[in-house]
Amino acid sequence: MGNAALRDIAVIEEVPFDEIEGVVAVDAHNWLYRYLTTTVKWTNSDIYTTADGTEVANLVGIVQGLPKFFENDVTPVMVFDGGPSELKEDEIESRREQRRSYEEQLETAREEGDEVAIAQLESRTQRLTPTIQETSRELLRLLDVPIVEAPAEGEAQAAHMVRHGDADYVGSEDYDALLFGAPLTLRQLTSKGDPELMDLEATLEEHDLTLEQLIDAAILIGTDFNEGVSGIGPKTAIKEITEHGDLWSVLEARGDTVEYGDRVRQLFRDPNVTDDYEFETTLDPDLEAAREYVCDEWGVDRDEVARGFERIEESVTQTGLDRWT
Amino acid sequence: MFKAIVSAETLTSALDSVSVLVDECKIHLEEDGLEIRAVDPANVGMVDLSLDAAAFESYEADGGLIGVDLSRLEDIAGMAESGQLIQLELDEETRKLQIQIDGLEYTLALIDPDSIRQEPDIPDLDLPAEVVLEGKDVNRSVTAADMVSDHIALGVEEGDEYFYVDAEGDTDDVHLELTGEDLIDLQVGPAHSLFSLDYLKDMNKAIPKDTEVTLHLGEEFPVKIYFGFAEGQGQVTYMLAPRIQSE
Repeated sequence: MGNAALRDIAVIEEVPFDEIEGVVAVDAHNWLYRYLTTTVKWTNSDIYTTADGTEVANLVGIVQGLPKFFENDVTPVMVFDGGPSELKEDEIESRREQRRSYEEQLETAREEGDEVAIAQLESRTQRLTPTIQETSRELLRLLDVPIVEAPAEGEAQAAHMVRHGDADYVGSEDYDALLFGAPLTLRQLTSKGDPELMDLEATLEEHDLTLEQLIDAAILIGTDFNEGVSGIGPKTAIKEITEHGDLWSVLEARGDTVEYGDRVRQLFRDPNVTDDYEFETTLDPDLEAAREYVCDEWGVDRDEVARGFERIEESVTQTGLDRWT
Repeated sequence: MFKAIVSAETLTSALDSVSVLVDECKIHLEEDGLEIRAVDPANVGMVDLSLDAAAFESYEADGGLIGVDLSRLEDIAGMAESGQLIQLELDEETRKLQIQIDGLEYTLALIDPDSIRQEPDIPDLDLPAEVVLEGKDVNRSVTAADMVSDHIALGVEEGDEYFYVDAEGDTDDVHLELTGEDLIDLQVGPAHSLFSLDYLKDMNKAIPKDTEVTLHLGEEFPVKIYFGFAEGQGQVTYMLAPRIQSE
């Protein structure tokens, strides 16, 4: 989720896909979730439901989402979340509660036969079930898309990989990538059209802040891990940090408090990440096996994924002239 | 400054050979003629075109650069009957192109060249085989291959000295051999590459049937297709990247 208020602070510009090259460390849950919700919203559930009622909309989503990377010669590395941070459990709990409420509404909508409401609510009640976790990884493996397992937040791990020079961009919709110190983040990888590039260096420069100060400002506004100080929005947060220097001085001056402020700060400054990863950037997908897995093993309608597989196939067999320049 | 008068055929041939790859392009208005270089968004097919000043009835330019919507300009050129002349004049102030065809005046808004895809670098290719043949034989090869497959192999048999075309479909195959007698010229060298017919079909559309076409080929290398139009005062070079061949 992250905090959308950070958008007002971040330096973001749209860039044409052809200007992007290299490796994108993709926050896999974030990415998958987007495709899961759109697939469920726009596709008849029979297409992605097996005979025994297991839903694998993720497989349809992955086949729709990956061609964009292949066609633009950008290598995706899918970074999966490990266990959630303790602090984030509140957020997860509140999402769970929200989902329960959606599920109740969905029940009502089904009873009333309200098709539109059913479609909308179904997309919101999607979660990454163990089957989704497992089948997503297997399909990615068949398509030779590298997977990295993060010890905690996928986003923090992705940012770490970019800082280390092992990837060129973090791919996430989440503005928190900035706070994890991701130098360059690509947003809207899941939407049509060109992505947005979020630039940490330019953001810090524009507000004349250090990364530590940006984190402090975000804590004042509120993050996934803490409630912000009420009445502090992006503008005030930056003003206060600039004036007082850091989180504690601002809180002291205002007579406010932030619960777990210290730990949240630590979480962004020194997140739980690993150097234990390895991947190849030249991908050699086994399309036959992938098709078999999705359509035969999991019974997804062939037509539904034909175009996506074709696009991947085309992009790996057709060379570009830039290879000779 | 740009002011020129050109026959409808010449302008249409030039535009058509570029529009098979891109929707918009930059046109360099050089003193000695027009130049266009463009690559399709997937970076697979490229065109490099020049139209000498001598191909025009009259031509004056001083090195400007304009951006055009090709289909719009083709539509306008299509208003001219065969043999009619088209007058083009750039209005520097409004950055619009004034086009006149026998009393018909059309003011065409131009596109900011900076908003058009960057012009490609020309690949540095050292292609060992050269095949010179008639446009109609290119057309025959592409049309036959298209009946059975999405791609086409072009190659040269060094021993028996012939140029060949192969297309393998799910059920049917096409094979064509053109020997020295069928060809205008042949320089043998190791050559065999596979190409997408989607691109080659489009390029073929722009190749006049009665013209001399030169193919430069290599092994798993792009093909370079060269031909002239407007009595040799216009030159087009296409480059097409190969497909990776599965064994």
